[in-house]
Formats: sequence, C-alpha cells, structure tokens
Amino acid sequence: MSTTANASATKASGASLTPVFIRLKLSLLRNGLRQSSKRKAVWITSIVFTALYAALQLLGLIVLRGHPHVAALTVLLAVVLAVGWAFVPLFFPSGDETMDPTRLAMLPLRPGPLTVSLLAASLVGIGPAFTLVLAVGSVIATAHGGAAFAVGVPAVALTLLTCVALARAVATANVRLLSSRKGRDLALLSGLVIAVGIQVANYGLQKLSNAGGMARLEPFAKVLRWVPPGSAMDAVRSTGQGSYGLAAAQLALSAAVLALLLWWWQRGLTKVLTSPDSSTLAAAEPERKRVSTGLARLLPQGRTGAVMLRSLRYVLRDPKTRMTWTSQLVIGALVPFLNVARHNGNSYWAFMAVAMVGGQMYNLFGTDGSAFWLVMQTINGPRDAYLELRGRALAFALPAVPYLVLLVTALTAFTGHWDTLPEVLGLGLALLGAMFATGAVTSALLPYAVPQGNAFKNVGPGQTSIAWLGLLGGLLAASAQCVPLVLLTVWLHTSGHHGWLPLLLPLGFGYGLLAAWTGLRIAAPRLARRLPEVLAAVAKA
Amino acid sequence: MGRDGTSAAVRIEGLWKRFGEQVAVAGIDLEIPSGRFIGLVGPNGAGKTTTLSMVTGLLRPDSGRVEIAGHDVWRDPAAVKSRIGVLPEGLRLFERLSGRELLTYTGQLRGLPGEQVDRRATQLLDVLGLAGAQHKLVVDYSTGMRKKIGLAAALLHNPEVLFLDEPFEGVDPVSAQSIRKVLQQYTASGATVVFSSHVMELVESLCSWVAVLAGGRIRAQGTLEEVRGEAATLQDAFLELVGAQGQAAGENLDWLGGGVR
Ligand SMILES: Nc1ncnc2c1ncn2[C@@H]1O[C@H](COP(=O)(O)OP(=O)(O)OP(=O)(O)O)[C@@H](O)[C@H]1O
Ligand SMILES: [Mg+2]
Repeated sequence: MSTTANASATKASGASLTPVFIRLKLSLLRNGLRQSSKRKAVWITSIVFTALYAALQLLGLIVLRGHPHVAALTVLLAVVLAVGWAFVPLFFPSGDETMDPTRLAMLPLRPGPLTVSLLAASLVGIGPAFTLVLAVGSVIATAHGGAAFAVGVPAVALTLLTCVALARAVATANVRLLSSRKGRDLALLSGLVIAVGIQVANYGLQKLSNAGGMARLEPFAKVLRWVPPGSAMDAVRSTGQGSYGLAAAQLALSAAVLALLLWWWQRGLTKVLTSPDSSTLAAAEPERKRVSTGLARLLPQGRTGAVMLRSLRYVLRDPKTRMTWTSQLVIGALVPFLNVARHNGNSYWAFMAVAMVGGQMYNLFGTDGSAFWLVMQTINGPRDAYLELRGRALAFALPAVPYLVLLVTALTAFTGHWDTLPEVLGLGLALLGAMFATGAVTSALLPYAVPQGNAFKNVGPGQTSIAWLGLLGGLLAASAQCVPLVLLTVWLHTSGHHGWLPLLLPLGFGYGLLAAWTGLRIAAPRLARRLPEVLAAVAKA
Repeated sequence: MGRDGTSAAVRIEGLWKRFGEQVAVAGIDLEIPSGRFIGLVGPNGAGKTTTLSMVTGLLRPDSGRVEIAGHDVWRDPAAVKSRIGVLPEGLRLFERLSGRELLTYTGQLRGLPGEQVDRRATQLLDVLGLAGAQHKLVVDYSTGMRKKIGLAAALLHNPEVLFLDEPFEGVDPVSAQSIRKVLQQYTASGATVVFSSHVMELVESLCSWVAVLAGGRIRAQGTLEEVRGEAATLQDAFLELVGAQGQAAGENLDWLGGGVR
C-alpha cells in the first residue's frame, strides 16, 4: 500500500469512526435507563445530584465574580479537576467501556483516527458536562471585558480537552498495570485513597471558609498559573488586566501540553494495540522468603504456627485483608481520640476500637473463599477444628492486643486520668476475649463469602442478612458476657472501694482468656460438623 | 482392606444430589477397585465434579453412602481424610502464598514433621518443573502451574487414594508427561488414582478401569476392555453411550467457513 492510499484510508476511517464512538457513548448513557429499577434510581439520582452540584458551583463562581482572589481559586479548580480526571478513571475503570483500549485491540483500527474519535466520544458524558459547567463558571468569575470573554472560549475548550485527554492517556498508559495483579491490588486501595481525599478536601474547604481564606491560595496559584490547564484559565484574567502577551503565552503553553498529551496517548494506544500483555512475567522474590522464615521461627510448631503464619502473611499480602486491617486500626484509633479531644471524654472510647478490630473475627473463613477446601480436608475432628480456630484467634491477638494496650495508654495519657487505666484496659481485654469467643461461634454457624477484587463489597450475594445476624448477635452476646465484670466495676466505684480497681486489669485479662477459650471450645465441634456447609457459604463469591 | 488390591478402594451406594430443581447426581452405585488408574468420563454437566466433591467430603450428599478403604466418608471423616488426596476443580488455593509456602502450609496442617515436608516439597517441585517458580506467589501462576502445585499439595502426605478433577486441563505436553510418570509410579506401588477427564485418548492410554457418567447416572463401568466393548476406540464407545452419535453438526452452520464472507 502506498503512503497516500494509506493516509486516505486513515482519513476515511477516522471520519466514519467518530460518529460511531459518539453513538456508542450515547447508548451507554441511555443504557443507564434500561437497568433494573433499583439501579435506574441510583443512576438518575447520581445525575440529578451531579447537576445540582454543578449548578451550585456555577452559582458560587458567579457570586464570587469580582472577588480579589477569585482568579487564584479558578486556577486551583482547573488543576484539581485535571488531577481528578487523571486518577478517578483508574479506580473506576468499569465506568466507561470505551475507556479501556484493550477492548478495542481486536478491532482493525489505526491509532491515529482512533485517537480523534475516542477524544470526541470522551467529550460526551456526565463528567465532561460537569467539567464544562465549572470551566464556564470560572470564566464568568474572572473575565473582565470583551477580549477576556473571547479568550475564555479557547480557555474552556483547552481545559476540557486537557482533562479528557489526560484521563485517556493515563488510562492507556496504565492498561498493563490495570490488567495485572499488582494493578488490581492497587485499585483495591482506592477506597482508602478516596476516604483520605475526602478528608483532605474537607479540611481544605474548612480552611477556605475562614475569613481571608482565599488569600491563602495565592502562593499556590502563583505556581499553578503556569500549570495547564490552570494556565488556560489564568489567560482569561491576564487578558482582562491587559497583559495580552502573558495571556498568549499561557494559552500556547496549554495548547502545547495538550498536544504532548495527545502524542503520548497515541503512542500508548499503538503499544497496547500491537504488543502482548507481559504483566505475568514478574520476577521471583527471594527476599520475601527470608523475612517469612524469620517470622516462622518465632511462631509455635505444628498446626497453630502454620495457621498463624498463613493468617499473618495474608494481612501483609492480601490487599483486601490489608485494607480492612489498616482502615480498622486507623479508624479505631482516630474516633476515640477525636471524641476525647472534642468532648473532653474519657478513655472508655477505646472500646470502639475493640469492637472494630474484634468485628473482623466474626467471619474467620470468609476471606479464605473457596480455598477453605484445603483447610477442611485437614480437619479430622473437633481437635483440629479447635487448633484451627485458636491459630486464627492468636494471629488476630498478636497485633490486636498490643494495639489495644498502646491505644488505651495513649488515650489515658491524653486525658490524664491515669487512675482509670487498669479498669479500661482490663474491661477492653475482657471484651476482646468475648468477641473472640462469639466470633469463633458465628464463624462456624453463620459464615458468608467475602468477594475478592472488589473494594466496596464485603458480603457475598444474598448473604447480607446472615452477615448482619452474625455481627449483631455476636456483638450482643459479647457485651452480655462482659456484664458481670462491668457490674463489678460499677460496684467498686459506687461503694468506694477504689483501692481494688487496679485488680480489674488482671481480672479482665483472665476473664478475656477464659471467655475466648470457652468460645473456641464451643465453636470447635460445631465447625467440625459443618465443614461442607461452611465451604458452600464462603465459596459463594 | 486398603492396599491389598482385592477389595474396593471406593464404594459408592445410592448417591444423590439435587441443586434446587436440577438433579446433578441421580443415584450412583460404583465400586472402584484399588491399585489402579481409574478414569471417570462424561460430557459437560454429567455430574463428575459433583460426584467427586461428595466422595471426597467437600459436598454433603442428599442421600447415599461413600466408603473409602473401608471407612465411611461422612461418619468417619478422620480416617478418610488422612488417606485421600484431592485436586478439586473450580476451587481456589491460598494464592497469596508462594508455591513452596503453600506446600509447607499444607504439610503442617496435615501434621507432617517439618523436615519431611521440606524434603518432599523440594522433590515434588523438582519433578513437576516448578522449582524455578517456587518463590512466586500462586496468584501469579498460570493455569497449568496451578494444577501442578495443586497436585503436589494433594500428593504431599502420600495418600492411598488420589482424586483428581481434570488434572490435565491447561497443562502442556511436557508437564503432562511428568505428571503421568509421577502418577504411574504412584499406582504401581498399590495406590489408587481416580481422575475425571474429557480427553478419551488420555483415559484410554492411562486407565485400566473406566466409569462413564452422563446425566448424573453411571452408564457403564468396568475395565477398559469391557467398557469399550465392540467399538474401535473408547471415543466411539463413549459417544454411543452418551447418545451423541449421528448428531451431525454441519446442517445448521452451513455458512461457517469457506466461500463468501
Ligand atoms: N452449586 C451448584 N448449584 C447449582 N447447580 C449446580 C451446582 N454445581 C453443579 N450444578 C449442576 O449440576 C450438574 C452437574 O455439574 P458438574 O459440575 O458435576 O458437572 P461435570 O461433569 O463436572 O461437568 P464438566 O465436565 O463441565 O466439568 C450441572 O448441570 C450443573 O449445572
Ligand atoms: Mg467438572
């Protein structure tokens, strides 16, 4: 084929491809209406909320028109939008099917026309509409004079195109990552990232709403004014102030970066469309072995040690288990501290952390999934079942007990009520032991699957009621078990026997141990009898 | 009983399993001789996986009895579980362990002494060609490698009877050959291997005893010669038994291949 023929073929397919992709996007949007009524409701609600949110933002930007620091805000807004566009599709890759270039790999398409039509199609959707509204609002807020409004048109276009192209280019560059195991592990952390992001944004907004808040943005804006698409937005302000040269430079910079992005994206597309996936060729990791064998030597021999080691390895290696542990440890510490700080409360808030960490005991086999068959093949009776449950409980206790001790000590140091330390710690340990006990029983009687590979789903299909029953029943039972100890504490306080209160620490510790041991003893024969049922339940995901 | 070669390795009586309306296994009676290579064949959905799951204690049957080496699977699981090895199909492994860690873990759960587990694991990894990947996480293994590490885990405690559900699926010819060698040496010492497969040539070349399953029932059982009967190959006998003979596939798909696109 000659080059001219090649070029004309490319042009032809590019022209006919664009409407196809746009129609594809439109039908994807419309399909939102053809789902089950529940999902349709969710879909419509999300659109309404996005529209409302966009309208509010627009209104806010219009109100801010003329504010001395509003240009700083719009620059920041443009950059934040671009960052959002770059990252959000990574975490929700399923949101837009045309986003995933591997789906197009089988089609006879050339990267050149493909880039054009995919870019055009990307401009259709809720996200681009939202971005467009914000960009227009930014122009309204900062433009002064006809020339500035005229510059606003290319500025909005550049901002929107940069956002969309950035999202596409990053997604394409990460196709390997996303389709590899490491990438999927990473995506599981998205829940954490989003939670932290919301916290940070919240904090930032609070700072801003303080008097003179927007002035704080100026130092950031000084830099971001040269970072596209912030530079495109700032060109509007520059024009309004008569600095035409500056405005031209800023627009040119934005256009150049957009061109660079498009080039990078096209290169990525070519690579994805032509080269095979090599994500599974990971190197062996001999270093991992050394660390693990060090840990292995410290643990007891036999089944107990094997079960503990496997559980602890999963805390470190399984992304879902790791995320659960991290978030529960962090939240379990954060909530008590915040409450103590805000309400001048006492260290009894540590029980919240106990409940959070102990709650993970309530479905011990769920994270095994169908791999539980391997465990059940080696459980020959109540004795093995007991060892299995005990090993898992010990693997929990290994991080949980030191954590609880540290947390209670830190909380006490924070409040300064050192006299309450023994009773809070004692009662906390007793509660933890009781939760281990009830957790072992619910794990055997009310097991449910924990779907892997989905950060937001923690219960298998159709098992929600079982999960709630286990958790609520278990929590009630665990609290009930602690009643005698609580009554004793109250009595010691009210009858003035304060000298005896420190005894609650060893008492609580012993009580917790006894409760846990009893619970494991009760659960073991039940687990041994119900092995096939447990497997059927946890393999459901 | 057990390895003396005269009695049944596995005895199944009146085994039933329903999933809602669907009858997966409809009353199976089977006596599997010990010390042999046994093939369990049948079309997709015949109930092979369901049967093997019930025989190995992974799935509770609706009714029926299963005896392995003279011990009831559901009444005396302790005696059975230490005597059998299983490679199930469609069930995961602990994939966040490396291949070697998985073997060590399995061995320790089985109560084997540490250095023995180490020695056996090294040999199994070597023979199955996994030595190079032993420190890689199982989650990064290919389909065939998973089958092989699963087989190693099933063999680790030297069981009397081995149940393998489609052990050769996704395994390359070289690895298949090494698996065959291992299994043949193992049966030669008096152990029993029961495996399910769709590949008739494989069953014909490996097994001396075959059971044909279709629609949740046993259609034929016996030595390879008995089941093959008049037919030229096991493939023909199989097609005849499950009633797929003469169903010409060509009529409805005459547009497929060749000619105008
Ligand atoms: N958990 C289940 N729930 C409902 N139906 C099931 C379940 N497991 C199996 N079945 C049904 O039981 C029948 C037998 O399935 P089984 O998996 O035992 O077949 P198989 O012989 O192993 O097939 P294949 O050769 O495809 O592996 C099928 O019709 C299947 O749909
Ligand atoms: Mg099957």
